[in-house]
Amino acid sequence: MIQRISYAFRETIASFRRNMTLSVAAVITSAVSLLLVGTTFLIQRAFDNLLVQWRGDVGMIVFVRPDASADALAFIKQNLESQPNVIDVKKLTYLDKAKSFEEAKRVFAGDPTTLSLLSIETIPSQFKVVPKTTDPTLVRSLADQYRTLPGVTGVSLAEDEFDVISTLSSFVRTVTIGMSLVLLAVAVILIWNTIRTAIFARRREIEVMKLVGATDWFIRIPFIMEGLIQGLAGALVSCGGLWGLNRAWTSGVAGFKAGTGVSSLVVPSGYVSGVMVALLIIGAVAGGVGSGVASSKFLDV
Amino acid sequence: MAILIRSWKGSFVGVAHNPSKPHKAFVGAHPGLARIAKLCFFMIRLENVSKMYGSDLPAVRDASFDVAKGDFVFLVGPSGSGKSTLLRLMNRQERPERGNVWVAGRNINEMANSQIPYLRRTMGNVFQDYKLLPNKTVFENVAFALEVIGKPKHIIGQQVPQVLDLVGLSGKEDRFPHQLSGGEQQRVSIARAFVNRPLILLADEPTGNLDPATGEGIMALLDAINRTGTTIVMATHDHRVVNAMRRRVIQLDRGVIVRDQERGVYE
Repeated sequence: MIQRISYAFRETIASFRRNMTLSVAAVITSAVSLLLVGTTFLIQRAFDNLLVQWRGDVGMIVFVRPDASADALAFIKQNLESQPNVIDVKKLTYLDKAKSFEEAKRVFAGDPTTLSLLSIETIPSQFKVVPKTTDPTLVRSLADQYRTLPGVTGVSLAEDEFDVISTLSSFVRTVTIGMSLVLLAVAVILIWNTIRTAIFARRREIEVMKLVGATDWFIRIPFIMEGLIQGLAGALVSCGGLWGLNRAWTSGVAGFKAGTGVSSLVVPSGYVSGVMVALLIIGAVAGGVGSGVASSKFLDV
Repeated sequence: MAILIRSWKGSFVGVAHNPSKPHKAFVGAHPGLARIAKLCFFMIRLENVSKMYGSDLPAVRDASFDVAKGDFVFLVGPSGSGKSTLLRLMNRQERPERGNVWVAGRNINEMANSQIPYLRRTMGNVFQDYKLLPNKTVFENVAFALEVIGKPKHIIGQQVPQVLDLVGLSGKEDRFPHQLSGGEQQRVSIARAFVNRPLILLADEPTGNLDPATGEGIMALLDAINRTGTTIVMATHDHRVVNAMRRRVIQLDRGVIVRDQERGVYE
């Protein structure tokens, strides 16, 4: 058994060397495509951070002073519910201080100074308002009206904050996902072709192996391993690239003024490592599939 | 040379006067017994085998013959008469359109694909063009045949020098094929075919690329291997070797067996 494993490894390495240029091309292509896949994930997550406050068609947020009394709170709520034509009352939600603090952790992920100033006691609670109307002036006049209510510290409108970003986000997502899928397909085809070439280069050897009674799997496994390693190597390179990219991005974002919203575009490092693991798996699977298909298709000698 | 045949209880059953057809001793005893005996004694058996290439070009038509254990058979005939196809049918590189091929008591047409490697481990193959691997040494070429069927290193280290000694290549273990003469290369290929002690050796024109003197040496080697009990089927159109050996000759003409003769000559 050990001998068979060492045989498979030796053959894999020898074949990799013989096919250097093609192998490197396959590795680079899979690295670039996987890097793009990873970047898509990160961009998505960054925009999600920015938009987390506004998830679910929220169009207006009414912030309530942390020290507001229960009466004041009830008064604000009553005011909001008295406009069923403009506000979707069923979707009206209230985030108490604890929930608001949880949300703030994501919004201010890249802005630790702001975050450190906040605590469960000092954070404003919030009403998330989903407008029924599409008329922006109506919502705006309503917002101006709520600002004057006792206990309200401020009112934010979605269209001021993120309408452009939201459109941009979905556009960027479509483009990057499309491009990474195409590149991933190219990587699989390139690995497939590399393995086909490797099999062709060794056809005499394979013919002899078949005649002396080597099993199909014995012949196939070194080729599958070669493709798998190519995919995995590409994934490793892309992980390195992703790490560098995220570092540069994080330090770039830190240069912006706090509270501009850009700071929430930072992606937590735990999420980045999750993406890296996903890339390694995708790379290995893509390489294994490409070489597996090639080796079962071309091994009939 | 007569062989006494006894049943499993020890009682006397019959006498086989012809060592290549010992089952005939059973024919009088019991028809079922005779059938079993046939499968035991015959290494290879073809039953009405036909093989087509393309739609209407039969490479082999309705071929039937038996090869007994330990036999040495020449398949003769001009190029394209179906000799190579017959060999390829015996190790299932090809499957016939009609008929059955039996090897060592098993119908190989009904064998699952996953069993074919194990069938091939019981047979060695020798070719006109040797099919040696150019980037491996003599030792590695022979060892390769054992390595890829998972034989442990110490067995390889033991058996390869033995078989190289048998074929007369001791001392040339580290040469590469291009450093050897044609006859020596064919000896390496025979060593590779024989190193796993196969039951059957299939040889396709093994002397085709060699001068007569070298070819004679190869035939002497195959004869020695045959005398260890290995069944040999050899396709050839080399008159000299067939006439010199005086072994069984099966002659083919456009895919049809036209002659099957003990101690035959080429004609």
